[in-house]
Amino acid sequence: MFENLILAFEKTFIREDRYKMFLGGLGNTLIIALCATLIGVVIGALVAIVKVYYKQTGKLKYLNAICEIYTTIIRGTPIVVQLLITYNIIFVWSTQAVAIGIMGFGINSGAYVAEIMRGGINAVDIGQTEAGRSLGLSSATTMKSIVLPQAIKNVLPAIGNEFIALLKETSVIGFLGVIDLTKAAERVISRTADVYFPYLSIAAIYLILVYGLNYLFKLLERRLAKSDRG
Amino acid sequence: MIEVKNLYKTFDGKNMILKNVSYHVKRGEKLVIVGPSGGGKSTFLRCINLLEKPTYGEIWVNGKLITPVDPYLHFDVIEASLTYGKLYEKSVAENPGLSEEERREMLIREIKEKDLLHEKNEGGEYRKRMKQIFAANHIQIDLARQKMGMVFQHFNLFPHMTVKENITFAPVKLKLQTPEEASAKADKLLARVGLTEKADAYPSQLSGGQKQRIAIIRALAMDPEIMLFDEPTSALDPEMVGEVLDVMKELARENMTMLVVTHEMGFAREVADRILFMADGGILEEGTPDELFNHPKHPRTQQFLRCVL
Ligand SMILES: Nc1ncnc2c1ncn2[C@@H]1O[C@H](COP(=O)(O)OP(=O)(O)OP(=O)(O)O)[C@@H](O)[C@H]1O
Ligand SMILES: [Mg+2]
Repeated sequence: MFENLILAFEKTFIREDRYKMFLGGLGNTLIIALCATLIGVVIGALVAIVKVYYKQTGKLKYLNAICEIYTTIIRGTPIVVQLLITYNIIFVWSTQAVAIGIMGFGINSGAYVAEIMRGGINAVDIGQTEAGRSLGLSSATTMKSIVLPQAIKNVLPAIGNEFIALLKETSVIGFLGVIDLTKAAERVISRTADVYFPYLSIAAIYLILVYGLNYLFKLLERRLAKSDRG
Repeated sequence: MIEVKNLYKTFDGKNMILKNVSYHVKRGEKLVIVGPSGGGKSTFLRCINLLEKPTYGEIWVNGKLITPVDPYLHFDVIEASLTYGKLYEKSVAENPGLSEEERREMLIREIKEKDLLHEKNEGGEYRKRMKQIFAANHIQIDLARQKMGMVFQHFNLFPHMTVKENITFAPVKLKLQTPEEASAKADKLLARVGLTEKADAYPSQLSGGQKQRIAIIRALAMDPEIMLFDEPTSALDPEMVGEVLDVMKELARENMTMLVVTHEMGFAREVADRILFMADGGILEEGTPDELFNHPKHPRTQQFLRCVL
């Protein structure tokens, strides 16, 4: 039994330096999730600002409509379909699957982050905006320098969760030919014909990643809360 | 210095919160606004720096218009409207006997009272006049606000900035002062309110009274010509009220133009040049502290004073 395990481990990770395959896959998984989160935060912040600004002032009507369409479509269709469209229609001229994956996941994430950010912006006391404006600051400056920093602090935990969610979701990226952690396991399986060990291994790796990051974010959150109380 | 002309304010087109409020604040004047809760004091103050948008009426600051043009306040605009033209012809047919002057007055009064002007279909001449008046007098609100400091009941310090950053952020960002100038000015202002040692603290580390003193000097750092205070001591523990009022009194001695909404009647008596009594969305009575406190005329004022004094 124990010897079988060692053998399976050796076959999965050591032979032909297969651990490198997993490491590469892990790297891709992390890079895609991280970059997609960043893109999601940028898109999400912009969309949220447009929506909040429209709600407050009635300006930016068309931009707001575009943002509504964007969030509706993204939240109403499966991520795999979105990736297929991104890969086969929008970026049909490109074969940079990793970059396309990042774009696809980033655009997807943006729609969800927008809702998070909007909640974060609305949670900032209206008095902050009024104080900024009453000093003569423009609405853009007030948003950028007064409201957003506080909103982002509000939503950091939710952004952390978004990153973790993306980390798991990226496991479908293999069908674009990107070798992420999941795809790496499949590649190895095609050589070793053993399905158990590779799949269970990556499940364990995902599990450790998710809960490790979860723990890390909780620590950071507590740090932030502490500095808040002064 | 501040002219409020026929100010009306409704929220969501429904309840009328301010009804035809007019007042002229002179330079150096210390104006205290008192009145029962819900009477429209805050709304009035907030309209003056356009934190609330007036529904009708105009507000002029230092001879500059900060609101849109209100056609009803400009007779030449009313006369340029198509509505006036139509009514004029009708009036000529029906009352040929009237003098031109009488007819004009009657029509203008009718149009104002019945709110007959409709922006969209008053014709080119009307729009041209409106645009002319606007272009000749309007000042962008952000510019006007640079000269109007505002102090809020709940301080509204920026929690993610240190005390010093709170004070220097706006003047530096707006390029009114270099960072060095702003910093030196902040030091002076901090010394003046006795909070030098709090320069690098965050707002969360301050007491309420300290926060409000910082909020006041944050506004002063912009070199304002007018200071607006909306119940600056209402959120404070009683033992901290004095330290904030002292700063305001000193400001008054330096002849700052001040509009103060407050329930501190002692402060009103001591500092105010004039007192406004506001209730039910209007200025029911105004006068010197002596007139208003010792010889109130309006029954609502008398009733109010009985409750608070
Ligand atoms: N944003 C708003 N939307 C709807 N109604 C409002 C709004 N702000 C104020 N009001 C209403 O306007 C009325 C006057 O309010 P305002 O705050 O000006 O009174 P106030 O004299 O300052 O009273 P207080 O002494 O309680 O501060 C109140 O009835 C209030 O409910
Ligand atoms: Mg009030």
